[in-house]
Amino acid sequence: MKWLSLLTNEWIKIFSRTRTWIFLAIPIVIIIGIAVYDKVTTDVEVNENWKQELTQTVKDDQKALDEAKKNNDNEIYIDMLESNIKQNEYAIANDISPYETTAWQFMKDMAWISIFIGLFVIVVASDIVSNEFAKGTIKMLLIRPYSRWKILLSKFVATLGFAFLMWLVVILVTWLVGGLAYGFGGMDQSYLITAEDGQVKERLIVEYVFANIGVEFIELTALVAMSFMISTLFMSNSVAIGVALFTMFAGNTIVALLATKDWVIYTLFANMDLSVLIDGQNQMIKDLTLPFSISVLAVYTVIMLAITFTVFQKRDVKA
Amino acid sequence: MTTHTLELKNLTKKIKGKTIVDDLSFSVREGEIFGLLGPNGAGKTTTIRMIVGLISITDGDVLINGDNLRGNFEKAMERVGAIVENPQLYDYMTGYKNLMQYARIMPDVTKERIDEVIDLVDLKNAIHDKVKTYSLGMRQRLGVAQALLHKPNVLILDEPTNGLDPQGIYDLRNYLRLLANNGTSVVVSSHMLAEMQMMCDRVAIIQHGKLMRIDEILNQDDEADVKVHFKIEGDVSQAKQVLLNLNEDLNVTESGQELIVQTADVRFIAEMNKQLVLAGVLVVGIQRKTKTLEERFLEMTKKGGDLNEVAVPVNE
Repeated sequence: MKWLSLLTNEWIKIFSRTRTWIFLAIPIVIIIGIAVYDKVTTDVEVNENWKQELTQTVKDDQKALDEAKKNNDNEIYIDMLESNIKQNEYAIANDISPYETTAWQFMKDMAWISIFIGLFVIVVASDIVSNEFAKGTIKMLLIRPYSRWKILLSKFVATLGFAFLMWLVVILVTWLVGGLAYGFGGMDQSYLITAEDGQVKERLIVEYVFANIGVEFIELTALVAMSFMISTLFMSNSVAIGVALFTMFAGNTIVALLATKDWVIYTLFANMDLSVLIDGQNQMIKDLTLPFSISVLAVYTVIMLAITFTVFQKRDVKA
Repeated sequence: MTTHTLELKNLTKKIKGKTIVDDLSFSVREGEIFGLLGPNGAGKTTTIRMIVGLISITDGDVLINGDNLRGNFEKAMERVGAIVENPQLYDYMTGYKNLMQYARIMPDVTKERIDEVIDLVDLKNAIHDKVKTYSLGMRQRLGVAQALLHKPNVLILDEPTNGLDPQGIYDLRNYLRLLANNGTSVVVSSHMLAEMQMMCDRVAIIQHGKLMRIDEILNQDDEADVKVHFKIEGDVSQAKQVLLNLNEDLNVTESGQELIVQTADVRFIAEMNKQLVLAGVLVVGIQRKTKTLEERFLEMTKKGGDLNEVAVPVNE
């Protein structure tokens, strides 16, 4: 009948909560805060003498590398040092300053802010079904002339919309703040990566930023589907949020512990962080690539949604 | 011909092999207030939740305005309004925004209709306050408002008087009667006997998920359950003999200084009184008493005897 009205209702419910506005404000405040702090404290001298600075860093790294090799340190650590040295040498030789900040460089540096979005999206997605069960308002909703799947779909689309909106707002604010602080130029600015064959390559920062924006949409979709499933399975919102947060944060630890196992690449959490794959392979698990991880996430998302809709359709509401 | 707005046909609910509602069938007429009465755990709430689609139906059918709930949920629910237990509302929104939530998704609810309903439940002054500031009575009224927004012709209320003060109960009763007179079928569930007796046209007594009987409340005077109590001063056995002389098959029992005769016929009561007086028996009082719904209910559910009887006037 009027499915869009259901969606409007969910949207209104999300934005009627004070916490939603706080969730939106927190990343914005952090972005502005970091830009201001950076402007106030950055030493202009260092920027102009970056080549000397970098040469010194290369020397220090070389020393650390020799030390590490002597002590038979962790392989990942040695790889990292070697890659750093190569990148810095390349930077000096080709005159690419790593300290030159532009709006795009700022966006690349601030990419980690998406962890907040993940966090807040978990809270909203975990809450949107379970809270209505906990408060009993779900009864008032399910007695309307709408099939259950339509009601659940409206909630899913509303949460996804909220997640995407939040991400877009944060991107826009980062770009704006970065541009105002460091200038809007730098479309042609590049950064350095170490390819699989050990060669240092140049890559456009803009490319990275847009790739990161893209993969975050995919990550958010999988994250919403996961929280949504937990929210529907556990009808209490505190349990739902707790379980969702635990799985998210413990996920990385579990993956690290299981990194040696072959099947770890098929788990949800090994594939949850797509941004590390933009520049190539995952350092910890070398088999992961971007297309592979996106495929795994897609399969998980479909399965989790299928479980959610099946359970919701059949559930007896006794609250 | 009476039109039935809500029909239950062999409705059954089993949870984990246990039968909660057992082969329940009844029909609710247009414009009547129909009560579901039963002790706690009898299956009233389960029945109501099946009618509004909150709980799946194991077996049987629910027809609302002729549409089968199992096959055509969306069509069947279009003209249903309901409050299941307490009306639960969004605390973080105003009363008006709560109503808008439901107005938006129901067919043909105009802005005028929303204002009309707000007036009706007398919430005009508080409608733009957040619901978390509302008293229980106000929440209850807002719950009624949301149930009526789309002018339902089947209104279902589960334990509607829970948490209402006497004034609130009185208002609700009058209001439901008004709706019923305008053709709305109202289904209420309760374990409060006296309340059901005052509120309903018919009451279905349910126990262990089974329908025990359906009572017409307004016609109770015509039933065989009516008894006449003659209060006698003097020899009760002699008075009893006088009545037996009048009719040998008469069902007369002695109870202290009273003779109890089972009859509903007003003329016959007058005749008995005449005979008693002629025989010199001093009749100091005559009372016609009927079994209360409560008594019938307790009888049905085998929990008590005939203690409470209610006096009804002799002359009508």
